[in-house]
Amino acid sequence: MRYDFIELPGAESTLVRPVLPVQIEDLEEAPQLCLVDTGSTANHFGAWVADAIGLDLTGVPESTIRVGGLVTSGRSARADLTISGRRYDAPITFCEPWPLSFNLLGQEGFLRFFRVTICAAEFWLDVEPEAA
Amino acid sequence: MARFTIAGQTFELDPQRVETEVAGELPDPVKEHYVVVNGRRFPPKQVIERVTGLDRADFTTHQARRVLKRLGFTAARAGEAEPAETANGDGPYGGRQAAALAPHAGKWVALDSPDHVLVAASTPQEVLSWLARHERTAGYGMFRVPTTPDETEGIAPR
Repeated sequence: MRYDFIELPGAESTLVRPVLPVQIEDLEEAPQLCLVDTGSTANHFGAWVADAIGLDLTGVPESTIRVGGLVTSGRSARADLTISGRRYDAPITFCEPWPLSFNLLGQEGFLRFFRVTICAAEFWLDVEPEAA
Repeated sequence: MARFTIAGQTFELDPQRVETEVAGELPDPVKEHYVVVNGRRFPPKQVIERVTGLDRADFTTHQARRVLKRLGFTAARAGEAEPAETANGDGPYGGRQAAALAPHAGKWVALDSPDHVLVAASTPQEVLSWLARHERTAGYGMFRVPTTPDETEGIAPR
């Protein structure tokens, strides 16, 4: 499935970024736009997402997370994600604080499940589920 | 300050009061008509209900539009191009999407298409609550509009 990059307002010019909508568990009415982050090992989401889907992280060990130059705290859990029509069980690290605008899709929670083609010259990415 | 009679009652209104009254309000879904207050599109009846305390059933959209236009607010129909939304730039939408998002920098937004913001709020919980309350779906997705490039891609040295 092909997705256009998102255009973001910038101070001097428009910023374009590769994002795609991700349904988390059964939160159908509000898919989250997530940034494809090929440099990230894990999926990193804001902790509010866990609250929104009723995922109790009480007792889950907290660890220090470094991503994008940011140092934050994260708790890892599993949740169902639906991307390009495929629903799968994914590992996600829920982070607080999370000052970034997007949740991040990384290698273990996303790229290993999908074949991704990025064409930054034409502002699109193709995402196809890998054969099961 | 201007004086208006709405539903048989007299009100003295000015633009600043209208802006203050709706500052903390999330706009309801726009069906046909809207007015632009503080850069956001509101159904006219929502605004007049808020500033007068009247019930929406007590006045018409036409009355509400007339009052708000007299106070200097832009009123238009959904689907008409809003003058401020001029697009100019690179990207898959020629800058149209960036222009639609620009007024919402720092806010959480839900979009039903690339350049149509359904709701913008200070927290993701407010956005989820609004979607549930109005039985709407953010078909395009939700996220927080960045105020700086760092919020998009991290703060690692470039």
